[in-house]
Amino acid sequence: MTTRAAPGEVSVRREDAPRMGFFTDTSVCIGCKACEVACKQWNDLPADDVPGDGRAGSYDHTGALGAATWRHVRFVELLEPNPIPLPDVAPVDVAAAVADMDRWVFMSDVCKHCTNAGCMDACPTGALIRTEFDTVVLQPDVCNGCGYCIPACPFGVVDRDPDDGRAAKCTLCYDRLQDGMEPACAKACPTDSIRFGPYDDLVEIAQRRVAALQDRGVAGAYLYGAGDEEAERLAGGLGAFFLLTEAPERYGLPAQADSPIQDGVVPATLAAVGAGLAAAAGVAGAFRFGRPARGVGALTVVAAVAGAAELARDLRQRWRR
Amino acid sequence: MSGRRDMTPAVGTPGGPASWRRAVRGAAVALSQRRWRDAAWSDIFRRDSGYLSDAPPDPARVAEANRRGRAQAPDVVDGPIMKAPVWTWEVPVYFWTGGMAAGASFVAMACDLAGDARSARLARRVVLAALAPSPALLTMDLGRPERFHHMLRIVKPRSPMSTGAWCLTVFGALGAAAVGADLLGRPRAARALGATNAVVGGYLGSYAGVLLAATAVPVWARSRLFLGPIFVSTAVLTGAAATRLTVSAAGVPAGHPTRAALGRVESGAMAAELLLSELNRHRLGPLAAALDDGAGARWFTAAQWLARGGLALRLLGRRLGPRAEHAASGLFMGSALCFRFAWVRAGRSSARDDEAVARTARARRARR
Repeated sequence: MTTRAAPGEVSVRREDAPRMGFFTDTSVCIGCKACEVACKQWNDLPADDVPGDGRAGSYDHTGALGAATWRHVRFVELLEPNPIPLPDVAPVDVAAAVADMDRWVFMSDVCKHCTNAGCMDACPTGALIRTEFDTVVLQPDVCNGCGYCIPACPFGVVDRDPDDGRAAKCTLCYDRLQDGMEPACAKACPTDSIRFGPYDDLVEIAQRRVAALQDRGVAGAYLYGAGDEEAERLAGGLGAFFLLTEAPERYGLPAQADSPIQDGVVPATLAAVGAGLAAAAGVAGAFRFGRPARGVGALTVVAAVAGAAELARDLRQRWRR
Repeated sequence: MSGRRDMTPAVGTPGGPASWRRAVRGAAVALSQRRWRDAAWSDIFRRDSGYLSDAPPDPARVAEANRRGRAQAPDVVDGPIMKAPVWTWEVPVYFWTGGMAAGASFVAMACDLAGDARSARLARRVVLAALAPSPALLTMDLGRPERFHHMLRIVKPRSPMSTGAWCLTVFGALGAAAVGADLLGRPRAARALGATNAVVGGYLGSYAGVLLAATAVPVWARSRLFLGPIFVSTAVLTGAAATRLTVSAAGVPAGHPTRAALGRVESGAMAAELLLSELNRHRLGPLAAALDDGAGARWFTAAQWLARGGLALRLLGRRLGPRAEHAASGLFMGSALCFRFAWVRAGRSSARDDEAVARTARARRARR
């Protein structure tokens, strides 16, 4: 059942260090953002620089994870009535009252510490490493801010701070972990929506929590990132996983994900290198076998035909608009 | 630097979130408990709290719930799902210059094979000249330019950025050595170095496509089989055009077979570029909207019109004389630069299109 990263990936070795992670249970999150504040405080993160970023109409002023926001409580402002059966409390008609209300869901988002970590695969400097706890940590003294990890993360976690120049993301409080302490966000969470512990224990707790919720009528409760069968794991299994009740996209999460590099680099490289060598051969061939052309030459005609076809499609598209 | 935010940490060194060094070796932190037991104190996890089901976990049931939960189609996509790449103008310009150097290295090898030593020497200089601004451009794009050498800190075959940095280093060294051999009057060494460089150039001219394809950006990731070949075509186009202009300026006459061959290479590369782009656009389907409407749309339009202008001049070339041919080469080079910008910018708007990101992620499994 355990999902662990490939042993060759681990940069820091320590005997008997288990995989550690987060289980974030959105069903008990109250959206207090204490985890965001605790994270900022412990990790000494600067303020965000996002005044008026178009989030008017939302109570969620943070907006998204970023280089200076390693925990983000996402407010999912659902505007449909609550489908969960409610207790009958006289004399108020609870069901009717709730049906009139907007339903909110909160989710404390964080770096997923993937088993197949796209950011780590992408990093050319070795700044992103796998620790003894199977977490993914960015070493700020190594990162040179090339920015390649940013589009390589399918979850939009890691970002480059424009004022700092380096990429930054959650470290799962690596410094606290090494001293046997739980991460700052989990420590601060007043409802224990953020649960921290050895990964295997967390998965067991999460599975029993899903069962409890489903038995109580929350049929839509499921885990995002843990407890899947092997073929369906998200990025090989997420070190920080979630209990959700809505479709993943409502929380800004992709329904499927894997390290884009492990997904695509081999076919892309084969196609590219093949094309590169073919091009070198083609250039040599054009020198070797070309006769001094009379007129415009066949290749120019081919190119012109391709250009004309493209122009025709372009104009047709414009015409339709 | 905006200057509005104070980036100074309150404690620790500016290099990291906090100091990870202990004051006393092996000392424990006050109030910490062994094995992170301070994480498991809360009331909610008491056996009778009702938070957990009393039954032992049922993995099959949870796996089924997960499948159902993730399969449900959302009515709304609440973004942002992923982050857009932060690369600025330096990166597409580097793709252009690096591609030009790679293309010129092919030309140098071809000239050698065809026995035109003079043009080969010129082409090797074009390689070096086109490559010269590349390291500076790449360094300028870094968030911490003073750490540019960290790019060569490790060799990581998995990361196209790492292999590309190494490829650029090797290519640059070989290119400089080849020109040096030319200057020292060692034609055989120069030929051998030039030929090796053409093989390395096969990756230098194409890896940028791999680099973009190996990301989660929908329009790049879904073009992964075409981006490398498209970028190679652009590289050959610019390399041939730059060499053709250089060779002409150096006094190689109009009817010379090398000039004619370079013209053929340009046309062939342009044809390949247009055909591959068209094929790729067809394969992308609705995702091609990122190319048509996004931040790259203007660049694509400009690239297409420059290419059309160049092709028109080529078709009329015989009647308009050599000036028109040179102008066509110039237009092709401009078109290639616009294509580079278009692809990089299109990725930015594609990553910001939450619907497209969500749809591409959902389609992932079906493709496997």
